[in-house]
Amino acid sequence: MKRSLLVLLGALLVFSAVGLAQGYDKMPADAVIVPLGVAGTAYENLQPGVRGGTFYISDISNPKKWNLVTAHETSTSEYGYQMFRGMTDINPVSGALVAELAKSWDISDDGLTLTFHLRQGLKWSDGVPFTADDVVFTFNDLYFNDDVETDTRDILTLPDGSFPVVTKVDDYTVQVQLSQIFRPILNSIGASIMPKHKLAQYVHKLNPDVPAGTFNGTWGLDTDPAELCGMGPFIVQSYTPDQNVVMVRNPYYYHYDENGTQLPYIDKYVTLVVASQDVSLLKFRNGEINALGIRPSDVPILKSEEATKDFTVILGEGGYGTLWISFNYDVDNANLKTLFRDLRFRKAVAHAMDKQTIIDNLYNGLAVPQWAQISMPSPFYPGRDYYGGPITEKDAVTYEYDLNKANALLDEIGIKDTNGDGIREFADGTPVEFELNTNAGNTLREGFCLIMQEDLAKIGIKADFNPIDFNTLVNKLFGSTTEAVVLGLTGGDEPNGGANVYKSDGGLHFWHYSAGTGDINEVEKQMDDLYNQAVSTFDNEKAFELYKQSDILFATESLGMINSVNQQFTYAIYNNVGNGNIASVNATPSGTNGLGWDLVYLK
Amino acid sequence: MKLSVLRALVVMMCAVVLIPIIGLGYSTADLEAIASNELIPEISAAAGMALASTYASTMTVAALEDLAANGRTIGLRTAASDALSILYRTKTEDELMAIAGGTGAAMVRAAAVDPLVAFLISKDNLKAMAADATVTHEVRLAAAKAYYFMTRGSQTAASLETEAVTNDSDELAYAAGEALAGFYLSFNPKTQAELETLAISGGSEGLRVAGGLALSTLLIKSDLTAEAIESTLLSIAGTKSAEYRNAYEVALANRYGM
Repeated sequence: MKRSLLVLLGALLVFSAVGLAQGYDKMPADAVIVPLGVAGTAYENLQPGVRGGTFYISDISNPKKWNLVTAHETSTSEYGYQMFRGMTDINPVSGALVAELAKSWDISDDGLTLTFHLRQGLKWSDGVPFTADDVVFTFNDLYFNDDVETDTRDILTLPDGSFPVVTKVDDYTVQVQLSQIFRPILNSIGASIMPKHKLAQYVHKLNPDVPAGTFNGTWGLDTDPAELCGMGPFIVQSYTPDQNVVMVRNPYYYHYDENGTQLPYIDKYVTLVVASQDVSLLKFRNGEINALGIRPSDVPILKSEEATKDFTVILGEGGYGTLWISFNYDVDNANLKTLFRDLRFRKAVAHAMDKQTIIDNLYNGLAVPQWAQISMPSPFYPGRDYYGGPITEKDAVTYEYDLNKANALLDEIGIKDTNGDGIREFADGTPVEFELNTNAGNTLREGFCLIMQEDLAKIGIKADFNPIDFNTLVNKLFGSTTEAVVLGLTGGDEPNGGANVYKSDGGLHFWHYSAGTGDINEVEKQMDDLYNQAVSTFDNEKAFELYKQSDILFATESLGMINSVNQQFTYAIYNNVGNGNIASVNATPSGTNGLGWDLVYLK
Repeated sequence: MKLSVLRALVVMMCAVVLIPIIGLGYSTADLEAIASNELIPEISAAAGMALASTYASTMTVAALEDLAANGRTIGLRTAASDALSILYRTKTEDELMAIAGGTGAAMVRAAAVDPLVAFLISKDNLKAMAADATVTHEVRLAAAKAYYFMTRGSQTAASLETEAVTNDSDELAYAAGEALAGFYLSFNPKTQAELETLAISGGSEGLRVAGGLALSTLLIKSDLTAEAIESTLLSIAGTKSAEYRNAYEVALANRYGM
């Protein structure tokens, strides 16, 4: 009898030690219902699952802290993204902006006042009600507080340097006042909301008894996990350095499937901290982890075990990054300057680019042709049918590999091989020859340069490939002293992140810096206008159409950067994982953005 | 003539073993019956492969080491060896080196190979170790596997095709063949007919291994039933090549529930 009591008492202690309460008595009226398997929704290719089990992944780094507000590195934020949610978020399948802690929002006629209506009846993982006070606290006392070290402040800053003014209207209504219309703020206002009842005591401006900067050291790794609480699907239960991080389900998570089953499906997920990506791969092959983001070089070894070990290697859509060749309109050499400014030349180069050889030789087939500036995973990608819609590429601007077309365009310009040496000459008899730079050591870009060098030689253009140190290359680029360059951009979901590249006065408008000082052409004026219009509307469909117009315009009339190919997202996941097909650039079950985790289940 | 008699005998024996379980799936007892009684070694071994995870969770290391060394059939020894390979993952590098490099039974040493690879990937002398005649075949094989794992980013099908034929050791050629199989299933695909030819008559063990491993994947993904695979194994018993038969063995293990 005594022993039974002890066991019961022990169980209670363990339960309270992880700081989790029992959960909702019934589904909150404002719960999020995820339409898994429902035709016509973004989730139609997923299915309702079953609860239970432990999911294992790996990471090569230990977390640095549990404080998502002050986190700088993905090895920390990947746990924070499981624990917290924002007023808005992105759909894990389509990448489209969706309501999250807010169930809806209104935009005033002048576009300067956003009113967010919060979901009612939700609770933090410790059972404390979630209200507008948490939202106002998070923005005004954390993100906009100079005493708090946070990278999030930058993305919340409006183009004029001001911050949105966040005020509480009532317990479930928050107003955000803007100094100017700026559509991307709807994404950034989705920054994670923090629990005021837990953290206000560590903020100097709210509690002068604690020294300035105290919050920055709050929720370090030495924090008792029972002190942590959040609104996301999982909460940290334990951490063993160099071993693992264990997260358990949040009993007050407010997402449910169509059957009324509360998410997440899995009880617990464990991140094994390993020494290297190679060790991760070995652990995946041993079945010690359920999912793994892989590199192209991992594909053969996994394909040979895919059937025997019952997992799937997913070769998905293209990723965010781009790879391109660009010609400097402001180059000193008068002949080259005229040539590079001629759209026919740039189109000739586009036709001479053998993308299939690039895909086969440099990417082992794991890449797709790239034509747009906006990243493929973005809901604004112009190859989609609509904002966040499927990628059909029905409006793609393609330049098929066609040396006859390329040669015809060059002939039309008037540069011909007059002396029969295989190289075309300008009217003054000098050969059409230029230096082609990329950063030395980047084998992919170097390989691309070598292929381009061969391709250009086939149409009588001599490219002198010269890989140089990255910093030297950057200096040449900013100093507008390159002739031709091969580089890439990282990309992202929000197209306006590329405004500094595509707008004529952008700091990275490197192929034509003189556009920013008056030498602007008509296409650049139109691009500027389209980019300005796209951030001056809160209508994502309208913005999508504007960005599509800008990409088509750029690909047909500018070609300031001539795109090559886009590496595909590669991923491996065991077949006993349900909804593993959610894995994408936007939602990797082992990724760092936390999306989709609540939907995977173990069969 | 002799072979025909053997086949007939084997067919009869298999019928005895298999009839009770057709349509019922494969229980542990079913698989143990096949692993213990089946005369065709590949079928026995396939059952053993399918038993491994069960044995890993129900038997002690000592019992498995004994079974791997002294099991009556190849199926039982395979089951024990594969189960040991799972349990050996918790052992240290020194312990694994002692097992793989020791004088124990070959099936016990073999169980240490894959777990040992995880430790060897951080070494920088793998190719030399894989060709070191002073260590056991199993240590050389682990080093060879680790070498091709760590150099996978710089390999191509063409380079591996060369190294699967000509290399500093048999183990390196074998491991090159293993790596090559992945290319035949991804970047440099081959048809089933091409893989069968390679598995049967490839010019080296490494090439046959590449063909056989890649073939096993296609067989698993095919709609062949266990019965059909068993029939094939009966018909090719002792013929073709070990790598070709192994492809069907692995596919059968999959059907048995590996």
